[in-house]
Amino acid sequence: MSKKEKVVYKEKINWKKEAALLPGYVLVLLWIAFTAVVLIWIVGASFSTSTEIFSGSVFKFESGFHWENYVTAWTSSNVSVFFGNSLLYSLVTCVVVILIAAPAAYVLSRYTFLGNKPIKTSLILAMSIPEVMIIMPIYALTAQYHIRGRILLIVLYICIRVPFTTTYLLNFFASLSRSYEEAAAIDGCSPSKTFWQIMLPLVQPAIITVTIFNFLSVWNEFFMALIFATSTDMTPVGVGLLQIVNGMKYTGEWGALFAAVIIVFLPTFLLYIFLSEKIIAGVTGGGVKG
Amino acid sequence: MKKNKAFIIGFIAPCALSLLVMYLYPVVRTVIMSFFGIESVTAEVSDWSFNGIDNYIKIFSSPTFQRAMTNMLLIWLVGGIIVLVLALLFAVILTSGIRFKKFFRAAIYMPNIISAVALATMWIQYIYNQDYGLLNQILGIFGLEGKNWLGTDMKFWAMLGAFIFGAVGYYMLIFISGIERIPEDLYEAATIDGANKVQQFGSITLPLLRSIFKTNITFWSVNCITFYLWSKMFAPVSTEASTIVPVVYLYDTVFGTTGNVQRDAGAGAAVGVTLAIFVAIVYFIMNKLLKDDDLEF
Repeated sequence: MSKKEKVVYKEKINWKKEAALLPGYVLVLLWIAFTAVVLIWIVGASFSTSTEIFSGSVFKFESGFHWENYVTAWTSSNVSVFFGNSLLYSLVTCVVVILIAAPAAYVLSRYTFLGNKPIKTSLILAMSIPEVMIIMPIYALTAQYHIRGRILLIVLYICIRVPFTTTYLLNFFASLSRSYEEAAAIDGCSPSKTFWQIMLPLVQPAIITVTIFNFLSVWNEFFMALIFATSTDMTPVGVGLLQIVNGMKYTGEWGALFAAVIIVFLPTFLLYIFLSEKIIAGVTGGGVKG
Repeated sequence: MKKNKAFIIGFIAPCALSLLVMYLYPVVRTVIMSFFGIESVTAEVSDWSFNGIDNYIKIFSSPTFQRAMTNMLLIWLVGGIIVLVLALLFAVILTSGIRFKKFFRAAIYMPNIISAVALATMWIQYIYNQDYGLLNQILGIFGLEGKNWLGTDMKFWAMLGAFIFGAVGYYMLIFISGIERIPEDLYEAATIDGANKVQQFGSITLPLLRSIFKTNITFWSVNCITFYLWSKMFAPVSTEASTIVPVVYLYDTVFGTTGNVQRDAGAGAAVGVTLAIFVAIVYFIMNKLLKDDDLEF
């Protein structure tokens, strides 16, 4: 509101102004060009043979496009398993976290009750506790009760995302008008029905943003997976890629390695291409006023 | 009113339960563990033996842990200066009325959203590669001799460089949001008074970004204390002194390494508590400093 309304008109390129900005353009473009060269080379390498990669002739494709690198990575390097696991972990976490965090955020922002303040404080504290403080007892607990397999990582990821998601949604619920609930109460709507049918749909934009962050965070998670993913069939992409890199010395399939990098990188990258504005707005919105 | 109570409990219970199981219980237990002699993480409580602050004495007198702490401090100080300077530089450039601002901003932030394991693999297997790597090819263009970037003497700096590249975008976004909150008329007034761009940056932008700097320093410090992934990626099979950080040391003492089967969960817990105290100190100092001069504009 404080921003002045700008008159929209086709601005002619002011060469003097652009020239003053030239050093800025050069620096930013150099940085981005570096990123682009790396990405393009990795894509090129993922279609090349190991010999071509080592002789530095990645972009000539003298022996054609080697799509079979992707097949090798997907099947014999187990990327399909890692990919499926990560997808399962991310999607289930995203859904269940909302089911746990949204009701909690709602009552925390709307009702005064014993323990309201302590829970809010604990949520913020929980976000700043380093993971190394919690892994050992959880490891002991899961070993003692023989909890293992995919369900273990799913539960861990859900619990880890609850504090952030609840805190994030809290502010949005707090900003909604009370008149919705008053109207619903007059019509004889129960509090829980009011929440699921009226209040939850109202914070939909916030739910979408926080879900994007939850997805990215679970997809890219590494530390917990390294400790708790004890077998191949529960390993997500991050740890899986580390295993592929470590095994590369023996298999020597460099093309397949870079194909695996592309497969791991692609889902979040595609998400970013479509949602970068929303993601960036979420980072600065949630980050500065922490 | 009775009905309301059941409704509130039903809504808050899953969240409260996850806090108890995932945070409260583990944190309390880790703190207790750090004062006991425990060999295996999975050992029964009856096998624990109280040994006071022996675990802390043990880790602080361990040369490996000291090396890990030194590495962490180096990452914090050297990496921090480079990251914040680059992030501020890009933030100033992108808010100076440059074209394609949104694209540039998205491109610089991009490494933050892709898997850090994939990013690290790109650096290790391509950019730093001695045979066909990008860095040595660039050096070759200038007629310089390529280096073995992943040799013992260069490895730490190679790791730090790759880490910095990925981190800059995040701190840049926070700087940008800070710069954009500074009212435009301050700059207009300064321009009328004859201040040039550099003077304006020094006497308007920088002072008004003080609280943003503190936010960024807090995030960077916490980031360095929990630094792990890059160290693991640059020394994937066995831990090396050049890249070791406290979390790697913790992992090795708790779960054992390939060459060393001796485990000490008590000492591992002591490392965890030490790191958590560092995080708490960072938050405490930054909170104290922030309260003193909360700028309103």
